[in-house]
Amino acid sequence: MDILNSTWLIKMLSKANATPQGRMLSLFDILDDWLNAPQLNSAIAQQKLLSNNEGKPLLIAYLTEQAIACGAANPAILAEHLMLIARNAAQQSIQDPNCDSLAHGKKAAAALILAQTPTTWAPLSLLNKSLNYGIAASLIFFLGATILISQALIQNHRHQFNIAKTSHPQLAKPMTADYKPKTSLTADDAAAIYAKYEQMRNGTCQFPEALQIPDKDKAVYLDNVVGGKLPSDVGDLAIAKFYLEKVRCNYTPMLMAHSK
Amino acid sequence: MSLLREKILSTASHLFQTQGINSTGVDTIVAAAGTTKMTLYKYFRSKENLILEVLEEGHKDFQAWLSEKLNNNTSQPSEKLQKLFDFIEEWVTSPDFRGMGFIKASAEFPSEASPVHQLSSEQSRQFKQYISSLAYEANIQDADGLALQLSLLFEGAVQAEQMIRGSGSMTYAKKAAKILINGATTH
Repeated sequence: MDILNSTWLIKMLSKANATPQGRMLSLFDILDDWLNAPQLNSAIAQQKLLSNNEGKPLLIAYLTEQAIACGAANPAILAEHLMLIARNAAQQSIQDPNCDSLAHGKKAAAALILAQTPTTWAPLSLLNKSLNYGIAASLIFFLGATILISQALIQNHRHQFNIAKTSHPQLAKPMTADYKPKTSLTADDAAAIYAKYEQMRNGTCQFPEALQIPDKDKAVYLDNVVGGKLPSDVGDLAIAKFYLEKVRCNYTPMLMAHSK
Repeated sequence: MSLLREKILSTASHLFQTQGINSTGVDTIVAAAGTTKMTLYKYFRSKENLILEVLEEGHKDFQAWLSEKLNNNTSQPSEKLQKLFDFIEEWVTSPDFRGMGFIKASAEFPSEASPVHQLSSEQSRQFKQYISSLAYEANIQDADGLALQLSLLFEGAVQAEQMIRGSGSMTYAKKAAKILINGATTH
């Protein structure tokens, strides 16, 4: 069996993750697990990885599909390049099992996906309906409350912002218009926050009321915390991370929760 | 080096790059170089030795070209790392690009026991070490890790370009390399 062109691999990829980016990146984890499976002969594994060197049509077709789904600039090239990185990394892992080549390959792949796609890894439409209704309700409530209690609101925002400043060093800098560092996210940053979104999607989460968020952070909060979009720079990332910590999630499976 | 030896070497290099190593016979090489089999074997003893010499020469030329480019155009170690992919892109997108010797040879000689495969792996390791030394100079904490990520990115892009000329794979690889380098620098 040519592992990189097998229906087994496609099945594993399909169920590995909820997003196209996640499914493409799980290629590296699945290969790592496969290479570490008990009694796998490395010579046979090497041969299987190198067999049919001309192409891996099944895997390429699957990766192209995922690349299109995440809006890659050139899906066919992204798919081909990801397959080659994975194959080369797996070969290196066979030759030197301690070099962590598949983990490093995954990092390179994450950067490549980031380089080919817009920085939106978890679009709002993928989130569940109740969450969307929740966001809408928060916004309506916020607009009404702003008209009625604007003065009290300003005081409340100041108080909340002071708490944020003292508890988060990156937010301790004044949140003025000129505080907008435009340093791009690293692959590690993107992978970490993406993992957080994935984790949250598996639970029932309670987001802080938009009302409680200072005006300056509101756009980042709605886009990058509630909306699940990847922040565009490290400044927004720091703010998003702060509010992500405030989200309370319950990961108990529904059936278990109802049986209590 | 004798002129005839050099001629055989450059003819073989061109044919290996354009037609593939396994599908280029000794007869084709001697015919194209305007010499005889006896002369070829006098200088190289076997086709395998000829392949090994072609690979060694090609890799030496590539490393020398890259070092010269980096030393002449950059002075800061961190800048060298950033510029590395610019120069590689320049090379990969040039009309003369026919692929990277060690990458092609490794694919054509998959058996680990083959001396050609062994030399290809060694050259791949040397290239990774070269990136690693640039990363160390640039004070990057996980220099070896970054070198492995960049070499995987680079080798994949070259392979993609070998398959589809003008694919643009190196342009995206360059963007991705920048993300990785920035990430490693800030940690």
